[in-house]
Amino acid sequence: MAGQDFQRREILRVMAMAAVASHFPGFSKWAFAAAHPGASGTQIRPAKYSPLFFNEQEYALVEKLTDLIIPSDDTPGARDAGVAEFVDFMIAHDSARQYSFRTGLTWLNAHSEKLSGKPFLELSTEQQQSVLEPLAYKAKFRPGEEDGQQFLAKMREITAQGFYTTEIGYKELDNPALRLYAESPACPHKDDSEHKHLPAPIW
Amino acid sequence: MAKQIYDVIVIGTGAGGGMAIKTLCEAGLKVCALNAGRRLDPKKDFRNHRMPWDMKFRSFGDPAKRRADDPGFVDAEWVDGVWEHEIPFTTAPGTKWMWPRCFAVGGKTNFWGRSSARFGDIDFRAASLDGYDVDWPVTYEEIAPYYSRVERMIGVSSSVQNRPSNPDGEYLPPFNFRCLDHILQKGAEKIGVPYLHDRISQLTENHEGFPACHYCGACTFGCDTGSFFSSPWRFLPKAEATKNLELRTNALAKNVLVDKNGMASGVAYIDRKTKQEIEVYGRAVVVAASCVESTRIMLNSKSRYWPNGIANSSGQLGKNLCDHLYGESAHGYLPQLLGQPSFPDFVSDNTIVWMPRWQNLKNPREEKFIRGYSVYPGGGCSEFPWYAIGAEGFGSAYKREVKRRYPTPVGFTIQAPSLRQDTNFVDIDPEVKDPYGIPVARIHFQWGENVLKMWEHSKEVCAEVIRQAGGVYEGSDDEPLMPGWSLHETGTCRMGNDPKQAVTNRFGQTHDVPNLYVCDASVFLNCTDKTTTISIMTFTLRTCEHMIEKFRRGEPLAKS
Repeated sequence: MAGQDFQRREILRVMAMAAVASHFPGFSKWAFAAAHPGASGTQIRPAKYSPLFFNEQEYALVEKLTDLIIPSDDTPGARDAGVAEFVDFMIAHDSARQYSFRTGLTWLNAHSEKLSGKPFLELSTEQQQSVLEPLAYKAKFRPGEEDGQQFLAKMREITAQGFYTTEIGYKELDNPALRLYAESPACPHKDDSEHKHLPAPIW
Repeated sequence: MAKQIYDVIVIGTGAGGGMAIKTLCEAGLKVCALNAGRRLDPKKDFRNHRMPWDMKFRSFGDPAKRRADDPGFVDAEWVDGVWEHEIPFTTAPGTKWMWPRCFAVGGKTNFWGRSSARFGDIDFRAASLDGYDVDWPVTYEEIAPYYSRVERMIGVSSSVQNRPSNPDGEYLPPFNFRCLDHILQKGAEKIGVPYLHDRISQLTENHEGFPACHYCGACTFGCDTGSFFSSPWRFLPKAEATKNLELRTNALAKNVLVDKNGMASGVAYIDRKTKQEIEVYGRAVVVAASCVESTRIMLNSKSRYWPNGIANSSGQLGKNLCDHLYGESAHGYLPQLLGQPSFPDFVSDNTIVWMPRWQNLKNPREEKFIRGYSVYPGGGCSEFPWYAIGAEGFGSAYKREVKRRYPTPVGFTIQAPSLRQDTNFVDIDPEVKDPYGIPVARIHFQWGENVLKMWEHSKEVCAEVIRQAGGVYEGSDDEPLMPGWSLHETGTCRMGNDPKQAVTNRFGQTHDVPNLYVCDASVFLNCTDKTTTISIMTFTLRTCEHMIEKFRRGEPLAKS
């Protein structure tokens, strides 16, 4: 019956995860981001992550940028989901993107020095945000900052990829793939096919 | 030792090959089937229930291995090592072509899109209606009973729609509409465009011993329960139960062998493990390796009887290559759904609905193009929020916007048939050989004017559907996807009554070599606005019953 099927599939899924987990030595937060909350072992803080591609200063800057792009606010953010580890791992395996990421980080520090006499990480969070604003919004763009604009777009892309592919990211969106369905899911708004009278948005 | 002679050698185990193997074995014929790759084990090879964080590269695939022409699923991490990368092909100057080939047993049916509409007389008699090209040598009336049998066999979910251009079949209950379907359907209705259930070979009820779908949405990565049709789940076990099948894996077909009269006598293949060439003999041969590969095998089957390739006295073998133009005609979002709770919109991997051909129905020339196209709408909550990459901003505002937009994205994919033209064809590259020394296929292909007019037309219509639905239109692809993307190539062994104009007759039997049959989409005259798989199975069932009848009469070599 359907219920048994679901149980069996859940078991398959857990087995697949267990088999895979052993393939990822060296990651600290990645495995933790994936674990179910309350599962045993999640409270142990892992050893410090050793970057594969970026140096320590670059890695700290990457981690800060992921945190600024998807912050921990009323829900967990990129730092909680270990996104910087994902960025480092992917760039380490992608020679085509290594140059642009490294030069992008250099550009950002030089830009920050030019604006306020300090490298990016030494600025306050508010100052960091005001450096990013013109790079992040078309309406606030300042000519001459094209390189930074392109770099931030790349950081945002890889941060979104790293965040929304963790269980934390799935929960952030209440991703329907976290559940299984016994029947073809149907629109619940039977008397409102045009969807003009929906309940108030939940976010 | 006397050499073993099978009744039939079948090259390929996908939609056509699988159906041929099952049908022939169940009729008591001894079959030897050749498949270019290995057999998959759904338990080990299908990772459809894994989550992205269970994958080394979070399902994006190893960047170092990613190829520019990968349509997204080929080198993803969900299924590993089943797509052909070893056998190259070439393209003529100016041709762009991608050719994803699954060499695992069952071929592309392991991972296919599952849309399963019937061809109709509007397709078979298109030439009579608009004067372009020639009619198919079959009528809907004679094909329809075979469609019904295939639908009952595999299970297709849809609704009765009463549109002669998209004939109704025998269906399981359809998938339910999602919120976005109700909204878009209203928009489509306002401009007279149909927005209906797709016909999909995915079970909404238990069927023929297979469980109903469990709505995980990962069909493109294989199914662990056989809840959508695939040859390895549904056909091959039935064939094996008859004990009439010998399946040889890692067997790359090289050429069809001929006897002293130029008739088919077997197949030479390469055992990819030992790299040895092996011959296997049969009273008849079925070529079902997929359109372009079947063509390569036949063009490479040269002998003094067939200097230009077997069964090619017409010179039509390899000609008439057609393909579906794919591309995103429009995308946008539905503000009605902003901030609403998430909903499992992707449970069928986005083939729940379609907008079946509505153009040129009353009058074959009412549009600026002839024939017609269909569109697959999709959207809503997907496993990965792709729009997040293009969204601007950062911080809590960005994070909240991604969440608010989650249920709202919509997109429309066009499926438009190219028509035959002299400049689109497959031949053998005179200089390039694969690692086994077999000359490779060379593709010559350009989109024609007619299909590009459909593409432009679809952009306007789909943008208007979004607007009429109260949505926000955000853009269209500048260019259609690369030719070959649809995996629906057709036409290179086209069927026809005139042996001078066609490679096979109306039964898929080659005109020149009566014991050589073609059972894949290469026999179709073009793609139509529908997908090819269910029609491959339907025509193959008919072809095989024709062949069985000749064996029963003891005349496998008789002409029809």
